[in-house]
Amino acid sequence: MSATNTIVSVRGVKRRYRMGDEEVWALGGVDLDIVRGEYLSIMGPSGSGKSTLFNMIGGLDRPTEGQVLIDGQDVRSMDVRQIAYLRCHKVGFIFQTFNLVEVMTAEQNVMLPMTFAGVADEPAGRRARELLDLVGLGQRYDHRPSQLSGGQQQRVAIARALANDPDLILADEPTGNLDLKTGEEIIGMLGRFTREMGKTVISATHDHKMLAASDRVVYLTDGKITAIKRQDELDIAVETITDRTARSNHDRKTGA
Amino acid sequence: MKQITVLPYSKVIQIALRSMRYRLVKTFLVTCCIALALAFLTYILCTNGMSAHLADRASEALQQRLAREGLLNQMRSANQQSQTSWMLGIALLISFVGILNAMLISVSERFREIGTMKCLGGLDSFIVKLYLVESLFQGMVGTLMGMLLGLILGYLDGLGRFGADAWVLIPPWELVRLLATTFGIGVALTVAGALYPAWRAAKMEPVDAMRSEV
Repeated sequence: MSATNTIVSVRGVKRRYRMGDEEVWALGGVDLDIVRGEYLSIMGPSGSGKSTLFNMIGGLDRPTEGQVLIDGQDVRSMDVRQIAYLRCHKVGFIFQTFNLVEVMTAEQNVMLPMTFAGVADEPAGRRARELLDLVGLGQRYDHRPSQLSGGQQQRVAIARALANDPDLILADEPTGNLDLKTGEEIIGMLGRFTREMGKTVISATHDHKMLAASDRVVYLTDGKITAIKRQDELDIAVETITDRTARSNHDRKTGA
Repeated sequence: MKQITVLPYSKVIQIALRSMRYRLVKTFLVTCCIALALAFLTYILCTNGMSAHLADRASEALQQRLAREGLLNQMRSANQQSQTSWMLGIALLISFVGILNAMLISVSERFREIGTMKCLGGLDSFIVKLYLVESLFQGMVGTLMGMLLGLILGYLDGLGRFGADAWVLIPPWELVRLLATTFGIGVALTVAGALYPAWRAAKMEPVDAMRSEV
């Protein structure tokens, strides 16, 4: 793997949290290279350190030990304005809870990262409307988050993540609060970004549907990587999981 | 390594105004809370000021009337004076607790918004400035409203007790000083009440700010 092809490099990353008097290691030494343009999923039960690793990759948290390199730059050595630049220009975040700014319309939400980047209102507004068209929000530019459904809010969040054309899209359980069909649409959209726009998509998830769209899946347990599987190694596993999901849905419907 | 540029104040003001306009009812309620606390403080300062100057600034007719009614002596008594400082203390306390509490709550509700803005590339300083502009605006409007209400009530009370003399009892320069002090107290408390939680949220890692439930 050549250096230019690696967009994120995680080297021996440990993260310790203090919970009262106790010290908890959320990550106990993780090494991971993420290739430009891939769709990577981080799987793991809650408490596995999945979110912590995800936050490290996005520069939302700093490691206690080890290095996180984004585009070859060490996150730990960055000052606040460099970190802000990273979050603004290089990374687009999508959250489980959408996290739109309540007081702003869909269009203003998408404009916000561009405002932070110093883009003037007029071109920012034009690009915001283009992006909202792209994610299929229709003409609801002036709707507030409270006037939109969960799926529509997540579409706005995706448009906002794309605002400054970042290389990296980080999605934290993006389908967690959505129904099955909307979730699939969102997954499809993320898959399209990697293929058509060359974005690198990293998602933390325990949604098995997301596996099918991923190029690689990283399995995390107790703060350590237990397996990294490529798409072709996954196929069989995905099928059994899908079968199991279908069966449990069936059981639920029949009241078993 | 590239750095983010600092947003100009005009942009901060634009975002702050938009936010206040959208939260109009809430903004208005918080502003009223500030106004009420300050109205009480202004009223107390006004009536105290008038009483304090009865001896040297009241007209002879009023002094005679007050002496006849025994009010003049009563107002000079130690008991009355300690009551006056009590009232002033309570008025200050109400302003402190009322305003700080209202601002703390209204900013704490927005921790998630602060975290989100940081994720999108907002600087800590932008967040602090945003709340500075919002609280300055709220503080000034609320304080002015409160001062106006307090003055009206104070002078109505004065007119009732001392007649037309009430207008001249407080010397102009003292009235100016009184108003300037109240204005300063009102605005300072509002800004402090907003900036402290905003600064704390801005210092947090964005994930922590988004997660914190208040």
